[in-house]
Amino acid sequence: MATFSILPLDRFVVAKTAIKRPREIAYFSYDDEHALYPLSDQSLSYYYPPFIHAPGEGEQHRANVSLSNGFETFRKHDDSINEHLDALLDTLAAYEDREGHVVKADFITWRGMMTKIMTAPSDMFNEFEMNATCFQGTIFLEEHKAAKSMPANNGPPRSDPHGARPSQEMMQYWGYKFEALSTLRKPWAEVSRAEIESRNNVIVSNEAQYCSIVTTGIGDTSLILGGEVDAVMGAKPDNADDPIPWVELKTSQQPVDQRDDIKYERKLLKFWAQSFLLGVPKIIVGFRSPDGHLLRLQEHETQKIPGMVKRQGQGTWDGNICINFAAEVLRFLKANVAGDGIVWRISRKPKSGTINLFPIED
Amino acid sequence: MGVPALFRWLSQKYPKIISPVIEEAGEEVDNGDGTTTKLPIDARGPNPNGEEMDNLYLDMNGIVHPCSHPEDRPPPANEEEMMIAVFEYTERVVNMCRPRKLLMIAVDGVAPRAKMNQQRSRRFRSAQEAAEKDKAVQEYHEMMASKGQVVEGASDEKPAKTWDSNAITPGTPFMDILAASLRYWVSYKLSTDPAWEKLKVIISDATVPGEGEHKIMNFVRSQRQSPTHDPNTRHVIYGLDADLIMLGLATHEPHFRVLREDVFANDTKPGHCRKCGQPGHMADSCRGTAAPKEGEDKIVKPLKPFIWLHVGVLREYLAVELSVPQQPFAFDLERALDDWVFMCFFVGNDFLPHLPSLDIRENGIDTLIAIWRDNIPHMGGYVTKDGHVDLARAQTMLQGLAKQEDAIFKRRRQTELQKEAGQKRREEAKERRESGKRQRMSNGPSGFDETVIQRGARGGIRRGVDLAPDINALPTFAPGQAQTANDPRYQKPLTHADIVGEANAANKSAAAAMKERLMQSKNPAANQRAELDALFAQASNGEPAPVLGKRTRDMIDDAADEPSSNPSTPGRNTPNKEVADPLNRGTSGALGGTSADVDVMPEDTVKLWEEGYETRYYEQKFHVGPEDIAFRNKVAADYVEGLCWVLLYYFQGCPSWTWYYPHHYAPFAADFINMESQVVEFKKGKPFRPYEQLMGVMPARSNHTIPAVFHPLMTDEDSPIIEFYPVDFDIDLNGKKFAWQGVALLPWIDEKRLLDAMDTKYPLLTEAEVRRNTIGNEALIFSTRHPLYEEVASSFYTKKATTTPGSKVKISSKISEGLAGKMAKSDSYIPNATLEFPLPTSQDKFTDLEQNEAVTVHYHMPQFPELHKSMLLPGIKFNEPMLDYSDIQTTRDKANKSGRSHGGVQ
Ligand SMILES: [Mg+2]
Repeated sequence: MATFSILPLDRFVVAKTAIKRPREIAYFSYDDEHALYPLSDQSLSYYYPPFIHAPGEGEQHRANVSLSNGFETFRKHDDSINEHLDALLDTLAAYEDREGHVVKADFITWRGMMTKIMTAPSDMFNEFEMNATCFQGTIFLEEHKAAKSMPANNGPPRSDPHGARPSQEMMQYWGYKFEALSTLRKPWAEVSRAEIESRNNVIVSNEAQYCSIVTTGIGDTSLILGGEVDAVMGAKPDNADDPIPWVELKTSQQPVDQRDDIKYERKLLKFWAQSFLLGVPKIIVGFRSPDGHLLRLQEHETQKIPGMVKRQGQGTWDGNICINFAAEVLRFLKANVAGDGIVWRISRKPKSGTINLFPIED
Repeated sequence: MGVPALFRWLSQKYPKIISPVIEEAGEEVDNGDGTTTKLPIDARGPNPNGEEMDNLYLDMNGIVHPCSHPEDRPPPANEEEMMIAVFEYTERVVNMCRPRKLLMIAVDGVAPRAKMNQQRSRRFRSAQEAAEKDKAVQEYHEMMASKGQVVEGASDEKPAKTWDSNAITPGTPFMDILAASLRYWVSYKLSTDPAWEKLKVIISDATVPGEGEHKIMNFVRSQRQSPTHDPNTRHVIYGLDADLIMLGLATHEPHFRVLREDVFANDTKPGHCRKCGQPGHMADSCRGTAAPKEGEDKIVKPLKPFIWLHVGVLREYLAVELSVPQQPFAFDLERALDDWVFMCFFVGNDFLPHLPSLDIRENGIDTLIAIWRDNIPHMGGYVTKDGHVDLARAQTMLQGLAKQEDAIFKRRRQTELQKEAGQKRREEAKERRESGKRQRMSNGPSGFDETVIQRGARGGIRRGVDLAPDINALPTFAPGQAQTANDPRYQKPLTHADIVGEANAANKSAAAAMKERLMQSKNPAANQRAELDALFAQASNGEPAPVLGKRTRDMIDDAADEPSSNPSTPGRNTPNKEVADPLNRGTSGALGGTSADVDVMPEDTVKLWEEGYETRYYEQKFHVGPEDIAFRNKVAADYVEGLCWVLLYYFQGCPSWTWYYPHHYAPFAADFINMESQVVEFKKGKPFRPYEQLMGVMPARSNHTIPAVFHPLMTDEDSPIIEFYPVDFDIDLNGKKFAWQGVALLPWIDEKRLLDAMDTKYPLLTEAEVRRNTIGNEALIFSTRHPLYEEVASSFYTKKATTTPGSKVKISSKISEGLAGKMAKSDSYIPNATLEFPLPTSQDKFTDLEQNEAVTVHYHMPQFPELHKSMLLPGIKFNEPMLDYSDIQTTRDKANKSGRSHGGVQ
């Protein structure tokens, strides 16, 4: 077993890790039935928010938008089936067929795995279990599903002792509802007003997705990452080399005191890391009341978030440490995950100071 | 829209929508020999107005008219001078706005039929006016000749004929010259001015159908529908029509400004002639350019200042004014704004006569807003949607107005009677003062002309040398009659701090003062109030202040705003303008004579203020008997079509080229019935061709603008359409005071008969004439140093260029910095050719360039299947609000007070 020590963090302060801007090389869509369409953008969404409150109108004119609306009819994707890296690899295969050459990278994985690694030094509650295997010089990294679903599947559903707090399921729904209210399936100019104005009545589903596959680099490690993107602002550029004006959509409870501010700042770490890794330049946060009413929208520029946290916030995390740390972990994995056909487990327990790597015996 | 007094009403009711333009003065260098050279302005520097603009749109007729036949200076001698005047004026406008991305120059092309009726009326009047003027000049010339004197400016024996401004109509040789000149000038600027290097220029000349400002709107709509459009684009539109601000609102782009001359500023020194700038005589006795005497400098008239109208600030006001408490559906500012624009149409537009009970001078729009606010809770939604009218809801509004109609007419009469009595009193008082005053005035030659109004350094109004407080961003009005009397902001006493503040402001330069004002923008109302207070304090000391001389309120309203006889003719709209009124007073420069006008007015036999007016109105205006109520409803139904047409025209583009309102007069509000069951549909039709439009709008006197083969149709006794071209026609004052406010009773043009008659002549046209009659393309012109040039060169001008003739290439909006659309090769552009000045030339400022460094292509706007939607775009970032707490409170209070008694359903 190899061990990577997270602490002390100060060894990650000074270094300047080179980052290669993520570039989309391929994409795929899941349709409304969650069927996979490699190299298809049919589920690409266009950002068009509900203008709940135009400036100058006064608070009394804010539209009353409840994110809970339609919860009963939510079509939730069954995520108990382990999909592994299938969609990503199928799409890369289709891409290689089309392009006539093989894509090469040190790592191929979902964006979510990298987010977990990147946020590890700044988030003591962060935990993960991943499987890794090396094949022809590329390390494939995926979530160790069983570990994650265990606690949720076992035991009675958690409920609030006071009965006032909304369930986890409801809060999750709010996020999807916000996406449904903020996106269009076609560019704005091609959608009728009636369709835009009836978005609140549309059945919310998380089956359909558009996922972007990017090449990127952190330090001396090259990566191919796949991840869902919520919507594009305007349109994808004609020239595939130009950055894409993606937006990431999030909901968060409107902070009311300093404790809330700190909580929100910690959330920003995840928002930032996720968006940073896929090259999503904008994050739109829909702030909501504790009971799920949309209060206001706020736009964050992804690249400005670390500076904002450092200068105006509480400084609960440091983006530079996250990046330097990720570069070191990747280097560590590259050095240790070896031998074709061997599956490795990468694990970090909450509050643990180490990341452990060991081969799994069948 | 040439709604008289609309601009004035807007700027008075929403004072913060206006701010002065800060213009960089060109530096002058001493040449060492007593002369100076004016250095060109380097527009690459930051915009002195504190904010950079992206796109500038020029409604070019607002430049061509004043430059070709100015009313405040001697006319240009020939077309070359006219074009250079256009170049220089345009350059000044571009330099003050400094667009960083795009300049669009739009000249009126053939208009929809609905507009042509108004154009026809204007051109017939204009021809009549010109005839009278020429006659007067001829008489003067003969008189002088008989005394053996030669008139300056006249060649030989014959006086120069007044230039016929009717030539500013699509299809005329003049417009052809203008189009060529504009292309030359734009290419010249792109080749020589480094500030233009990144600019894309679109020229939509008269060969492209549509009114200039509406072609601009089409463009803006096409851009905002493009997914790559930057929602925070800073738009500026230059033009003179007050409704440009409504067009700005209709785009739903909040970063939109209107740029225009400050009509309340005066550019003439007191005691100097407004036309030639010389002292010693007034404009009405000006005989043209007097050559400067030896050793005397030519007097250069100062340039008129410009102002901004901020659509974004108007949005703030309207967000307050149009929000109704307890409205049972979600407030949607964008929809409410559209309703507001709709209500403005009732009070006046170029396509429909306004309803008799709605007059801008009587705050007709406020009447409608009050009705709207009262009814919004019951209507269950907004009256309009993306340019479509909900006729049931519009019916509710008109019912509300109908309830008040009788009372409005009665009140109007009362006000009129009071005004006449008051004026009589003032005339008498003035008469008494005159003798003593004449005594004082005789002391020196530079008598201060009390009728001259000047803008102060900060955009407010100054009276001569006697510095009256500067009412920043407020239009002129007779302080004794200030409409702000009910406005609580203006009733606070003048404080010590206010006076100090004012004194400081007076010592600052305009730019410094403006800068400071911007800095303090959190509470700019404070300064304004001080100024107003001081003005009012002064005014209430005695007689109504002489700021506006002896003009009556009516004259201020009409003369100070859009010139009603021809709203697209600027230069006429200075407050002390000569009211062109050939029937009553000729073009005398005198401002007086108003009482005489009242005296000579024909009796109003409709008498709207007396019972039975509906019957009299329909009998006298429509020649329809009192029993024919169905006819009244038909007129109303036609009017409903008109309202629908106008709204679509503003929000979606021209819905029909052939539709028009077939009456000279509007119905009463009470005549609208069963609107909810009326079905309104338009056939798109085709625009007229240029010669057809010319034949449709020109009087025979302007036939020099039309190919000779058509002349007999206008003048021959046996022409099948001779009755379309009456030499004399009646003008119905229709209750108004001046001929130009009245209704020109011209026969309607029958489209089929016109086209049939013209068809017989088409084969006789020369090749050049045929060319001028075709429909053209918009041109996109930019520097060969612009990154877009590479695309053009490789697509159209390499050996490998595979594109077939006429094929379009999509413009990469990344390379074009946001411009979306397609381009196609233009045969008029040859790479590496010389750039030629298109006219015979006698000057050396604008000459041929050895190398034309500007490329010209055809431009095609992007097309979209869905219609324009009145919605904001994602990513929009609003400016800091300009209205402070007290502005909002005042606006809200006023709006809340206005309802209920105004015909609400309760
Ligand atoms: Mg999301």
